[in-house]
Amino acid sequence: MGKGKFITRRILQMLLSYFIILTMLFFVFRLALPDPTAALVMEGLSAEEQAMVRARFGLDQPLLGQYFTYLTNFVQGELGLSFHYRAPVFPIILDRLYNTLALMIPAIIVSYLLGPLLGVFLSWKRGSRSEFAGIIGGLVLRSAPLFWTGMIFIMVFGIWFNIFPTSGMRTLPYEAAYFFDKIFTLDYLWHLFLPMMTIAIYYLGLPMLIMRNTMLEVMGEDFIELCQAKGLSERRIMYHHVARNALLPVVTQAAITIGLAVGGQVVVEVVFSWPGLGREIVQAVRTSDFPMAQGSFMMMSGLVLIMNFLADVIYSYLDPRVVYKGGKE
Amino acid sequence: MSRKILILLILPMLVLGLSLTAGAEPLPEFELMTTTEGYDPIRYEAAFLIEENFAELGIQVDVQPTEFSTLIDNFYNEQDFDVAIVGWSGRVERLDPQHFLGTLHSGQTDPGGNNPGGYANERVDELFAQQEVEFDMERRQEMVYEIQEISVSEQPVNVLFYRDEVLAFNRNKFEGFQPMAGEGIYTEWLPFDVTPLTDDRMVTIGTSQEPDNINPLDSTTVWGWKFMRLYYDKLVRLTPDVEPEPWAAESFEAIDEDTIEVVLREGMYFHDGEPVTVEDVKFSYDYYMDQDFAYFRPFYQPLDYVEIVDDSTLHFHLEVPVSNFITVTMSQIPILPEHLWADIEVAQDLAPDEIPTVGSGPMKFETFDSGEYKSLSTFEDHFAADDIDIDGIDYIIYADAEGVFTGLITEEVDMNAWRLEPGHIEPAEAEDHLEVVSVPDHGYYHMTYNLRIEPFDDVNFRRAIAHAIPKDTFVDVLLDGLGEPGTSVISPANPFWHNPDVERFEYDLDRARELLEEAGYYIEDGVLHFPEN
Repeated sequence: MGKGKFITRRILQMLLSYFIILTMLFFVFRLALPDPTAALVMEGLSAEEQAMVRARFGLDQPLLGQYFTYLTNFVQGELGLSFHYRAPVFPIILDRLYNTLALMIPAIIVSYLLGPLLGVFLSWKRGSRSEFAGIIGGLVLRSAPLFWTGMIFIMVFGIWFNIFPTSGMRTLPYEAAYFFDKIFTLDYLWHLFLPMMTIAIYYLGLPMLIMRNTMLEVMGEDFIELCQAKGLSERRIMYHHVARNALLPVVTQAAITIGLAVGGQVVVEVVFSWPGLGREIVQAVRTSDFPMAQGSFMMMSGLVLIMNFLADVIYSYLDPRVVYKGGKE
Repeated sequence: MSRKILILLILPMLVLGLSLTAGAEPLPEFELMTTTEGYDPIRYEAAFLIEENFAELGIQVDVQPTEFSTLIDNFYNEQDFDVAIVGWSGRVERLDPQHFLGTLHSGQTDPGGNNPGGYANERVDELFAQQEVEFDMERRQEMVYEIQEISVSEQPVNVLFYRDEVLAFNRNKFEGFQPMAGEGIYTEWLPFDVTPLTDDRMVTIGTSQEPDNINPLDSTTVWGWKFMRLYYDKLVRLTPDVEPEPWAAESFEAIDEDTIEVVLREGMYFHDGEPVTVEDVKFSYDYYMDQDFAYFRPFYQPLDYVEIVDDSTLHFHLEVPVSNFITVTMSQIPILPEHLWADIEVAQDLAPDEIPTVGSGPMKFETFDSGEYKSLSTFEDHFAADDIDIDGIDYIIYADAEGVFTGLITEEVDMNAWRLEPGHIEPAEAEDHLEVVSVPDHGYYHMTYNLRIEPFDDVNFRRAIAHAIPKDTFVDVLLDGLGEPGTSVISPANPFWHNPDVERFEYDLDRARELLEEAGYYIEDGVLHFPEN
């Protein structure tokens, strides 16, 4: 099977998976969340007035009818009307998505730059005390709950030392006509630091440990011995030969992490009051805002699928065996 | 053979018959529906206290913590409950007794109505209809008192407690906050009340609740309206004592029982410089009726039409005379600029950035960034602007109550908009710069019985078990003293309408047992039994 065929097949698989995801999203939210209009009674709305509201959101239709409307709308690029905001979902999600990415991308870059480098270092220092400390440290950081780290950061740097802000993306009040006005400032970086570090520290452990483990595996392979026999320097072997081959699992992991990152780190966004998509999802679930929750998850699942697909394609370049293994038919 | 079968058939019937004549049925186990602990720990704990006390009387109760929307749906729409603990929040227009008294009216017992327990009392219905059209405040008060007297003594609903709002502000930066029942200190009088103590003349409010939207024809949250009412004027404003005060109206007067004459204040301007005219006022009321905005229906429903009499006078013609048209409708419907709204055909379809935000109110709209920030500035050309000492209001929108609290501690915000979490009250009191205030609320938490089910249809039974509800414990232990034991649906925080002399059911299990016995109930094997006929 050639590369072209491999890619076509992956795309078809991806579309099928997405359709299944869309269907599940629709039914899961309707089963799991209570009727969003129930809360209207609390506002003192009479039965007739509640019916008006139901009709407006199409909630008076039978479930299957709602499902087909949902699919047709999706194909037409319509994600529906938020029950809570009473406005189209898509622009709201997009706005939150930018904010989330503005937090997650720096966090991922920091963790996936530092992580693998530390991983190489640990495998190099195999058996030493620094390796031991590194592994323990990595596991501890990976296991510490994010909200806890976040709250400790807020307490120490925000309240005790009072050197970092504890919430939001910008010092208020501000005026920013465009999104980029908002993030290309020192003030933004200052606000970014604590939440970004909270996430980066958490993400760091995984690529570091994966890198270390695969490095050790690769170091045992024959071609490394060959390299040593050729008389290459230790450094050259480590970075050019071992690291390159050990990078593959890290790439996969990075792709998945980036895909999931779109949903934001819900907990970090709440702890630091970051106006991102994760916080929006929490609210959508709390208010039974189906369209909003669906839209956010559609966006997230779509990106996870795309990132996985890209990872597979990149993989086929980094390690040609992937494609040919699949081609034994 | 056939004889054997006959005996087999007759024997159980005999046993059943004997047991029926020997004694009446025991009370079945009842479900007590309440909120989850996560949603409201107080209502959750209260349910278990009630369970314990009822068990003392031989009444078996099974507490069912229920997710909030499901609870509301079961209670109001499905009416599928035995006993439920629910609450009403104290919104400002509910200071008028109409809404809360309506929960006792027999016309509201259909599914979806506000009286899911199914209470019906002819005298209450009659008084309710009379007070609705009674313009004389004293006479209306008498009727409102009598409804409370009857309903408390018949106990279709047991009002458990009223809960205080606890708020905090930075005492080093501002002073003069005036609390208002059900509103806390984030009232619409805030710009007039507070005085800055430093050079910072912007009040910064921390909140975790944000407007759903700022479309005056589409917002259905308190938080939307608490924000918008600062930049829109209404004809009338309610004072902290809930008296209607002429606002955009210079005066109002009921000239007959279904006509109200309003004289518009002169020299008012919208924030874009256009004058406010009688046409704008008429347009606003007409527009609300045309667009048929469900959330505001109770406000404009009594209105037939608005007539412009001359340049400064309007007549509001009512379909039915309603006594609270001035206090409720006129204090809620904002005056919209006709020149910006007239061409908008369906207001609900406006995209968020197309919504006009021009009003004539004391504050001017500046920004609303959902999830982050909103801002208002003082409108210098407002007729009451001389009484305002601040430059505006900033709002920081946090993700949760924890964020708001951190903001109060780090002095990022000057006050909070919504009640402090119980766990934050003490640490806030310990801060030098924070002053914690506790404001009584006119909303209430109640336990409603489904009167369609035995024995809750028995008034004597309800009166007896009222003595088994430890209200003082609710207040002292669950609320930390920040509240009051419940009596009637009109809270003491609403002094003009609250009847202080309604019957009180002291917590006394012996008295409860005595009353149950008098009504014919008896305990056997620790279980309460229905009276024998």
